[in-house]
Amino acid sequence: MSSTIETTERERIAFAAVELARHPERPRALQVISAITGGWTELRGDRLFGDDRAVVGGPARLGGRSVMVIGQEKGTDPMTRALHNFGMPHPEGYRKAVRLMRQAEKFSMPVVCLVDTPAAHAGIGAEERGQAWAIADALLCMLGLRTPTVSVVLSEGGSGGALALALGDRVLALENAVYTVAPPETCAAILYRDAGQRARAAAALRPGVETAQRIGLVDELIPEPAPGAHAHASLVIAAIRGAVIRNLDELCAIPIDELVAQRQRRYREAGE
Amino acid sequence: MDRADGVTSRRQAPRNRLQAPGPELRPTAPTTGTVACPRCKRRFVAERYAADLNVCSECGHHGVVGAAQRIAQLADPNTAETLLFEVGDRDPLGFDDGVPYPQRVARARERTGLHEAFLTARATLAGNPVMLACMDFAFLGGSLGSGAGEIFARACEMAVEERRALVAVCTSGGARMQEGIASLAQMARCSAAVAEVIAARLPYISILGDPCFGGVTASFAVQADVIIAEPGARIGFAGGRVIEQATHDKLPEGFQTAEFLLAHGMVDTVVERSRLRDTVGTLIRIYSGRA
Ligand SMILES: [Zn+2]
Repeated sequence: MSSTIETTERERIAFAAVELARHPERPRALQVISAITGGWTELRGDRLFGDDRAVVGGPARLGGRSVMVIGQEKGTDPMTRALHNFGMPHPEGYRKAVRLMRQAEKFSMPVVCLVDTPAAHAGIGAEERGQAWAIADALLCMLGLRTPTVSVVLSEGGSGGALALALGDRVLALENAVYTVAPPETCAAILYRDAGQRARAAAALRPGVETAQRIGLVDELIPEPAPGAHAHASLVIAAIRGAVIRNLDELCAIPIDELVAQRQRRYREAGE
Repeated sequence: MDRADGVTSRRQAPRNRLQAPGPELRPTAPTTGTVACPRCKRRFVAERYAADLNVCSECGHHGVVGAAQRIAQLADPNTAETLLFEVGDRDPLGFDDGVPYPQRVARARERTGLHEAFLTARATLAGNPVMLACMDFAFLGGSLGSGAGEIFARACEMAVEERRALVAVCTSGGARMQEGIASLAQMARCSAAVAEVIAARLPYISILGDPCFGGVTASFAVQADVIIAEPGARIGFAGGRVIEQATHDKLPEGFQTAEFLLAHGMVDTVVERSRLRDTVGTLIRIYSGRA
């Protein structure tokens, strides 16, 4: 009996952590971009089919350098959440990201990716237009990109939809973010054939970013003052800015051939 | 695990020691009695069905093929040398959903005779030196755990070392949920391994079998120079049922089939199983600049 209570309590705590990461007032990509960069100019469209508003991107100035910033945007109210499709990208979003990364490479600008998605969009159009192909291409692009890259997991890093923008030379994550193979609801549907058992799945999957750090997908956690980033947005955004600039300073000092080789070795070993 | 240890057989043979498929590598389909075509239900003598490569001679349905059988179907006769990459036991999350995850893996090993969801072999294919990396759906749904990812990555590295074309047969339900984020990392890992094959400018041909979904499709399965799908194979990122539940949209006719993807420009060609060896062989010969 007491073990049942313990299990229930463990599951409750695990799912509360997921809910904290999903808090609607946590800093969003556009908010971070406008706060930490200057001159950000949004560039839209993948030049192939359309413009996916779940992924935003464009060149900007950050800490005395020109950078390309690409972010997954969840929106902040019902209207913008719908506009940005709750941060769930279609293939066009990944193709836009790849286009902008290639552009950054051309101008030797570092890339900063802000990761915040429950998962890539699951839908008929996304499948018809090659969701898997777009993600696979973004992964290869990030692995071989000949310019320094920093990814920051803001709140939710879900599935290959997050990974596609998270293969940076350095990967930072906010302390209360989650990074998972799939949202707990999806995991529960697959593991227990019942999406309602999401708390059980959350407890089993250890969705906290420290798990991702342990297996080598995350390098550095950015602390959040209690009760979390939603209550201290400006402090946390300043910490993000500081951490990104510090990492870019370090990365920009490494010869590019060495950096790319290091990156490929690192991801060859991640999750070993 | 010490990677310098490389490949060993289950009998602790030295690195890269080769073994022909032994009795432990049994094909998934029975070889005695009769088998029914999953589509038209026509029954065949098992030997005859296997001789037809698990394709129904009545309706053309392409049945499931195990990894060992795949290797036998694709490799030139008597050229396949199965590589037994020992990847050990993995349980990054200490996962237990009633059955502890290591026990699930042990059962799958026992049931399939495979070490993981990937089986690899050196071979020649229509005379070309190739590295075959074949997934087996019978091994935990062909899911991409860290062991499977490691085997694929090592096969890629060996292909580069030995200048062999890479031929992958992909069939998978996607991530191995029991490994959580470590399973997700395999997409990065396998992509990094493919990047080495690309950098070495070796041909990479991917064959997509039924079904192929999730993180496998969204990484190495479609990072090939040529993507071949088998007739009727269901291929995609999210499964059709998931999409229907999430969006309440009615799925179009033939959604996510090989033919549907061909029409949408996502695969290069749909090739019947009986023509796979010839097609892949011709492609590799041309890419390698041989007549
Ligand atoms: Zn049939």
